[in-house]
Amino acid sequence: MIIRSRRNRRAALAAPLALALAAGLMACAGGGSSSSEKVTDLTLIAANSPWTEGLKTLATKYEDETGVKVNLEFYGNEQLNDTLKVKLNAQSSDFDIYGYQVQDVMREFSRNGWLADMTDYVKSDADWNWDDFQQSSRDAVTLDGVVYGVPVMTERHIMYYRSDLLEAAGIPVPTTLDELDAAAAKLNDPAKGFYGIAMRGSKVPLVTQFSSFLYSYGGDFQDKDGNASVDTPEAKDAYAFYGKLLKDYGPPGATNMGWPEASAIFAQGNAAFYLDADSQAYTFLDPASSAVVDTVAYGAFPAGPAGSHPYSIVPQTVGINEYSKKKDAAWEFIKWVTNEENSKTLLADDTVPSARDSSWADDAATASFPAGLVEIVRNSEGTVGHDRPQLEKVAQAREIVGAPAISAIEGGDVDSAADKANTDFQDLLDGEK
Amino acid sequence: MTATAQRPTRSEAAAARVSPPAPRRRKKRLLGPTLRTIAIMVVVLLFVLPLGWMLMAAFKTNLDIVTPSRTFDFTPTLDNFGTVFGAQNFAPFIVNSVVVGVGATIVALVLGVPAAYGIARFRIRNATAFVLLARVIPGVSLLIPWYFLFSQVQLVGTYTALILTHIFVTMPLVVAIMAGFFEGLPEELEEAAQIDGSSRVGAFVRVVLPLALPGVATSAILAFIFSWNNFLFALVLSNQETRTLPVAISNFTSYASVDWGGLMAASVIITVPVMLVALFAQRYVVAGLTAGATKG
Repeated sequence: MIIRSRRNRRAALAAPLALALAAGLMACAGGGSSSSEKVTDLTLIAANSPWTEGLKTLATKYEDETGVKVNLEFYGNEQLNDTLKVKLNAQSSDFDIYGYQVQDVMREFSRNGWLADMTDYVKSDADWNWDDFQQSSRDAVTLDGVVYGVPVMTERHIMYYRSDLLEAAGIPVPTTLDELDAAAAKLNDPAKGFYGIAMRGSKVPLVTQFSSFLYSYGGDFQDKDGNASVDTPEAKDAYAFYGKLLKDYGPPGATNMGWPEASAIFAQGNAAFYLDADSQAYTFLDPASSAVVDTVAYGAFPAGPAGSHPYSIVPQTVGINEYSKKKDAAWEFIKWVTNEENSKTLLADDTVPSARDSSWADDAATASFPAGLVEIVRNSEGTVGHDRPQLEKVAQAREIVGAPAISAIEGGDVDSAADKANTDFQDLLDGEK
Repeated sequence: MTATAQRPTRSEAAAARVSPPAPRRRKKRLLGPTLRTIAIMVVVLLFVLPLGWMLMAAFKTNLDIVTPSRTFDFTPTLDNFGTVFGAQNFAPFIVNSVVVGVGATIVALVLGVPAAYGIARFRIRNATAFVLLARVIPGVSLLIPWYFLFSQVQLVGTYTALILTHIFVTMPLVVAIMAGFFEGLPEELEEAAQIDGSSRVGAFVRVVLPLALPGVATSAILAFIFSWNNFLFALVLSNQETRTLPVAISNFTSYASVDWGGLMAASVIITVPVMLVALFAQRYVVAGLTAGATKG
């Protein structure tokens, strides 16, 4: 389902409707809003995540403490975006707080006026301490100096590996991409159905995981001025390297794999390395889902020619619905649920990777997190705050910049594919100016 | 589905042609039925395979599901069904789906069947085509106006909104099927009833409707299945309390994890009622009920 949300379209839809039906329906709707009344309930909608799991307990606690009931409605990620677009197009005030993916929708939603400006809110309370949030997370939810949400989860690119296999083969944990390449080559044994490495190889899903390779080779999707830069020598080398790993040591059918498929191969014990987001660690630690519970280990993203520059992003953010009639009450709840204490609770009880430095500094709170991972999170030097092109039409851009990687995996002409991708990507960017 | 499975394939038809009704040699007599059985088995297998996979996956752990070597060799577990009714608490969603499905079907029948009769008997030109337009309009384009309207009258998240929107599709379906059905019924039957002193309405209720039962059953099944499977309308117009099964199933996909086992167990639970309804209602779908009614 695709609903293009444009102000003019919304107007085109809403205006005649309003005209035609105003008389009858507005009357039916009864009295207008009464913002001065005491707020007794709030509604929050978000996509399923560890954070929403933890929220179920916290919402009850909030009701006990303040008397404000928080209704929670959770959806799958795609379903959430469809629902949000329909409801916000209709300027709905049925919900007050919503979770969203910053990189996918913040530009579009803020331009449509669907996200409330939270700049004054986040700076209103020194005790709540906005500065405790990681710099990259704060940057991620800020657009042109306006804060549109509070980050509630973070995610990094890491290297999962099989400690038993590396030990048996006498291979030290790779710290550079070249070492990773050599180790994957050594452990690769396709005749036995065992592969050196598993990663996303499907065009659109791979873009976010390719990003760390791109940065570590010294490139980026866009240059400082926001222009396309996937045809630079650095980018071409990164594409070629990413493709080579999967072509030479990856499982067959790699170009059809997103994270569910690629992670399953590692979980079955059929790959030596798996490079993807740290948020999947728990899948590998669950005996019902994984055969590598005791042998999975975590390493920092290996360094490329330009160093180790994995992405560190904010996958979940909460914002306030611009059409909500209870914005202040909504902020009070967001402030409470993201305060230092509750962020630690969420990290400890529901393993929600907090965006607050104070949560990660607390050994008690991080105790439930896999030990090797905590070290990687604490050492966030050199990370990059985005993992995909920065523009409104992210989905189209991913189609374009993912294509050269497919050429590389299939052994095609990477250089000309990257040149073509750059031209197409630049056209897309120009269209948004 | 069953209809498709029973339809002879091309090779089957060819096989039927080569085998004459009374062949001399025994070999030839067996060839036709054998090919026919094989063809049926191939088709049935194609339809049953995904269902079988779903059923097996519902009793597996996530690791067993994604491991090809354990396709048939696995230790069954009931954990997934435990998740569906325990942690995910699916019971209310089942109730919601039943309420909306039955509601939308009954209203569609009550309004749609007489409408279809009117269209068929009084030859209202192009009415069915016009009614079917509702099915041509993509549901997505209606969502925003519907949501806007229903939120103005504060019906978002109620059964009423869900049933009303489902009727928008189920009723045209009923009208289209039934209009065709009524046109096929000989008018002489009603005339005979009226000669015997029945009113027009009486003739409709006592004579036409019982004869049209197969059509009613067919359209009722289709209407119910549509409502039961509808995702789009319920996605936007339901809330946590009135959420229906197709929307609730997304509860099994979370950020960076998918519970395939739970998903498959929930799919089994969603599929079974529809199959039961179809099997039960099929008794009434007996073609040719009126054949010969006006003879002699």
